[in-house]
Amino acid sequence: MPNLFAFNVGVELGQLLALAAILMVMIRWRATPSFARQAYAANVLMMTAGFALMGFQIAGLIVT
Amino acid sequence: MQKPFNIITAPVPPLRAESRHQPETDAGGHIQGVEASSGGLIRATLGAAAAGGAILLFFWLPAEYGIDPTRVGRLLGLTEMGQIKQQLYAEADAEDAALAAAPTALAVAPPPASDPNIAIRLDAIESQVTAIAAVVGADRIMAEPAAQAPVEAPAVSNEAAPAVAPVAQVEPTGPVWRDEVSYTLASAEGIEVKLVMAEGGVAEFEWMASGGGLNFETHGDGGGNQTSYDTGRGVPEQSGTLTAAFTGNHGWFWRNRTSEPVTFTLRTRGDYSEMKLP
Repeated sequence: MPNLFAFNVGVELGQLLALAAILMVMIRWRATPSFARQAYAANVLMMTAGFALMGFQIAGLIVT
Repeated sequence: MQKPFNIITAPVPPLRAESRHQPETDAGGHIQGVEASSGGLIRATLGAAAAGGAILLFFWLPAEYGIDPTRVGRLLGLTEMGQIKQQLYAEADAEDAALAAAPTALAVAPPPASDPNIAIRLDAIESQVTAIAAVVGADRIMAEPAAQAPVEAPAVSNEAAPAVAPVAQVEPTGPVWRDEVSYTLASAEGIEVKLVMAEGGVAEFEWMASGGGLNFETHGDGGGNQTSYDTGRGVPEQSGTLTAAFTGNHGWFWRNRTSEPVTFTLRTRGDYSEMKLP
């Protein structure tokens, strides 16, 4: 039981740490002048990945 | 002469966290997005779809499914990877299906399995006798030439022994091979040869293939266990020992990945009761 508790506390602490680091990086990124352009590009890249993944899954459905 | 440093009059460098450029912000201090016209968004979406489709067509489908309508995957070697993947999936499925379909076969297996235990021990004794005979025979030949040789020959006899026994005496490398099989595999053909072994049993083997060599996997299964000992691609020959991690069938799967037929020969000896051929 203490193990379970400690494990979950550790998980939460790890999440807080990771989020803090991500937040710092994101704030710095948002403050840069090229942020808007880069964010737009990042979204397009994510769409590309999404389309590719969708095609992969559909192809898998057809093949198998 | 320089003026002394004064913190109040010193030029202030910009703080790092402060952007050199002030981004466009609204009243709430939120950053305004880039101007996204609906035409631009549609173009970006279509571009993303085209790029995604290209990645899929040129790289992903070949590497995953071996589907390669443009032949780009073949140039990059991705198509072969996809084909191997699909083949492995198919083999795994077939094996699962065979396992699911054959619980009765496993239930039937024990009667022969109790017999093989005796057979395995007999074989171990036999191979030891053969080894001793070879050593002792060689010694006696040195001591008193050819006196005991005729007596030794029958003692050595296994399946293939009588013909090979003199050879074993000539070259003192050890006992003769117990089994030897030879197969020719057409392109893309595969074959499996297994030895029925008890846990801890050690079998010696050697195999050699002609041409471009063979892909192989050395593995074992039995009693719900499954393991892979070794794998290789384009291997012309191999020799060594196979130690059974558990009681069951242990052996090799070979596949000819070249475009030409490949002939190979397998020789084995050691602690196994039976060689299972396809």
